[in-house]
Amino acid sequence: MARYFKNFNYLMFFAMVALIAIGTVSIWSAGNARSEAVFHGMWKQTLSTALFGLVVYFVLSALDYRRLLDFGSVAAYGTALVLLVAVLAFGSEIYGGKRWLWFFQPSEISKLCIIMFLADYGRKLRDFGFLGFMLTGLVVGVPLLLILAEPDLGTALTLVPAVLMMMFALRIWRKGLLVILAIMALGGSAIMGAVYEAEKPGVAAETRAAILKWVPLKPHQVKRVKVFLFPEEDILGAGYNLRQAKISIGSGGFSGKGIGKGETNHLKYLPQAISMNDFIFCVYAEETGFVGSLALLALFGMLVIPGAWTAFTSNDERGEALALGVSVLVFAHVYINIAMSIGLVPITGLPLPFISSGRTFLLTVMAALGMVQSVATHREATR
Amino acid sequence: MTSIVSIVMFVLGFIVLGVNLKEVQVDQSAGYSYANTRQSVRRVQTAAPRGCIYDRNGTLLAGNRKSICVVLSTTPFQARTWEATQARITEAIERAGKIVGRENPLSKRAVKRHINQRLAMPLTVWRDLNDQELARFCEHEAELAGFSLWETEERIYPNGRLASHLIGYVGRSEGESGAGDVKFNFSDREMRGRSGVEHYYDSFLRGVSGEKNLIVDARGFTQEEETVKATRRGLDLKLNLDAGIQRTVERELKGCIGACVVMNPQNGEVLAFASAPDYDISEFVPSLKSELYDRLAGDARKPLLNRASGGAYAPGSTFKPITALAGLGAGIKPEAEYECIGVYEMGMMKLRCARLWGHGPENMRTALRDSCNPYFCNLGLEAGTNALITTARAMGLGAKTGVDFGVDMAGVVPDDEWKRKMYGQKWVSGDLAQMSIGQSMLLVSPLQMARVAGALGTGYLATPRIKSGEVAELTKLPFPEEHLKTVREGMELVVKSGSGKPAGQDVSVKVAGKTGTAEVGLGETRRKNTWFIAYAPAENPTVAVALVVEYGESGGSTAAPKVGAILRSIFNG
Repeated sequence: MARYFKNFNYLMFFAMVALIAIGTVSIWSAGNARSEAVFHGMWKQTLSTALFGLVVYFVLSALDYRRLLDFGSVAAYGTALVLLVAVLAFGSEIYGGKRWLWFFQPSEISKLCIIMFLADYGRKLRDFGFLGFMLTGLVVGVPLLLILAEPDLGTALTLVPAVLMMMFALRIWRKGLLVILAIMALGGSAIMGAVYEAEKPGVAAETRAAILKWVPLKPHQVKRVKVFLFPEEDILGAGYNLRQAKISIGSGGFSGKGIGKGETNHLKYLPQAISMNDFIFCVYAEETGFVGSLALLALFGMLVIPGAWTAFTSNDERGEALALGVSVLVFAHVYINIAMSIGLVPITGLPLPFISSGRTFLLTVMAALGMVQSVATHREATR
Repeated sequence: MTSIVSIVMFVLGFIVLGVNLKEVQVDQSAGYSYANTRQSVRRVQTAAPRGCIYDRNGTLLAGNRKSICVVLSTTPFQARTWEATQARITEAIERAGKIVGRENPLSKRAVKRHINQRLAMPLTVWRDLNDQELARFCEHEAELAGFSLWETEERIYPNGRLASHLIGYVGRSEGESGAGDVKFNFSDREMRGRSGVEHYYDSFLRGVSGEKNLIVDARGFTQEEETVKATRRGLDLKLNLDAGIQRTVERELKGCIGACVVMNPQNGEVLAFASAPDYDISEFVPSLKSELYDRLAGDARKPLLNRASGGAYAPGSTFKPITALAGLGAGIKPEAEYECIGVYEMGMMKLRCARLWGHGPENMRTALRDSCNPYFCNLGLEAGTNALITTARAMGLGAKTGVDFGVDMAGVVPDDEWKRKMYGQKWVSGDLAQMSIGQSMLLVSPLQMARVAGALGTGYLATPRIKSGEVAELTKLPFPEEHLKTVREGMELVVKSGSGKPAGQDVSVKVAGKTGTAEVGLGETRRKNTWFIAYAPAENPTVAVALVVEYGESGGSTAAPKVGAILRSIFNG
């Protein structure tokens, strides 16, 4: 018990609590701006979920993660697969995607399940060399394809860096990983370049169609890449969301307009359907300004840097992989979400941890961080 | 090792985000703030209620009524192309039209012009909603995204034609606000006086327009209103005009072409001010339609001309009292007789008297009574050009009256210099003879002649005053009292036993006056402008009248009876 309190990472915990508080206020503000009364009380649901999450957090941090992985990793992975198939079969369709099963989103839970499974079995896969690499690809690829089928590109995008970093840490055919990374980088650039060539002004319709035929993106994704490449071109149509997001954030200025006083949000210029979720950073940044944005980045830093440090100081391969996977996963969410809000990367749907209103994701992240805390508290005295 | 790489990546990632956030939130913040304001704040100018105009007894001559308009905030309808935006706006208007119960009043061109020129401003769709339309709008307001009500005021002239030339009318200002309308997204254009008292006292009646900021949401609904500057109501204007007298005067002038001014010579108060033909100013609001304007402007009888203070007429015999004063000033005795033989000959020129066979011997009083032309020609020649011109100018002719009104014609009192300039000819004694009987190139307005009539009665030349409470300037006439007395006695004779009898008929007070019949034009257009000027009661005048009727028969038979009717309505109450 004494070791638990001695090794408990208070910084990480403090950052998490602070982020929950910020999230609650942001959801309160974003929810109040909506016409539908049902959203006005959303912050209470978020807060109660977070309180429940704290219980989960403490239980998991007190529980030895090795025990958890021994008994739970296969079950978690299996559950994830079942849920991901179930959501495709029985899920309810919202905004053109099947992401909801009853009251939760399986793809959010599956992120943690995949990380747990990989953390547990990674070192065994390593021993098979190239075959292990291929097996890892299979193990991760199957749920990933199911997630992409929903479609939930955002989740898939955040999972990939987490998995890759874990594979590096677990030394699963590192040479191949570098090749994969290079292929991904080249592929990404090629797609961007192709879309640029197709969508730049003055390209004939046939040429455009001919180029886009070879681009492995759905039409709405092409549109998002186009907005990213030419943000000022269509600010009333496809570019409206990004334009309004930037107006929100930019008009917040240095010190913001005050909590609950965000104009673009309350006047509904900021797209209401996503202001509580994917675009909640805009609500927050408008009200708290650059100062608030920096504070938020600092809090996330206090969450993921100690997380990675926990991985580094862990004298157990499984613990290292788990802590690192979770940290990278959280960081990927933060980075992509904020970057897309200011047009640094194309817009894609994914939540900002603790701040967005999704409760499945909130619980998942809190559970994941509880496991990271467990890695910290169950650290052996010597390496 | 991988963990350390991750930490480095995290730190780099946060730095990238931080730097980019600084760019958006600090470096470019002003631009985004402006974009935010531009899309959500509508600066509007609110017109101040215009002051009302009353007559001296509190009768409303010009007032306001509320008018409710429907305006459409077009920004939320923006689409990728102008055509698409226009289609969306037109569709919205038509849908709203079904609810309100009105047709779409806007042409495609009007909508297009609005989109091209002032997309950010609300578009006024319907004006002047009635109660049912308003009720339907309010009931369905939630479905009418982007539409809102705008309350404004329209001018009303409850008495239609009454004193139309005096009151004038208003129009909506168009970019006259000085600072320029660019400052505002929407400007409830205020009413501006376009003529008459509405124009002359515009700044008095207008008040001060206010400023409001409307905070609108993405659907165009106003969420908040913030008053930046309150409107200040315009001031009410009370005129010296007496609506009752004005009505009588207008009734007398009905069907004629002419004008009449009634004033109080003791304080300059203008009691009636009429020009005929007139027009109905209530048809001029909310705006003067071009068809109506064209019809009025094209009318040969020139109804738009304000003849009361802007009409230029030869005074004819009504000028003779002035000639008499000039003669008296030159030392001629009033009792001195002159033999009228029906014509006055001057070299080649012959001036006929009204009585073909002559009046016989005339002194000044009888000559005034008989309006004897030869007597006054002779008198004018004896007095001389300078005396005549000086006297005419002392009576306020040839100069603006100083009335508080936009139209104030100075007229002409000709002299040598003037004639040389206008006609390139020198002043000859024939001109002087003509001028002595009010012809020649003399031009006066009825307002000037009302002033002359009053001054003859009181001995003081009063500045005419339209607005109540304005202090009149009284200028003492530079003539000895006994000269004025002689002229007054002559003018009393005119009404008592002369050609001006009808002007005093049945009037309960003693009236003094002078007829005038001025022949103008040549050949086909040859006509008579008939005059009568009067003041009453003769002992202590409180009313001075000048009335002119174009195409009349004679001053005595055309103008004098009308003046009689006006005086009866004033004094026989």
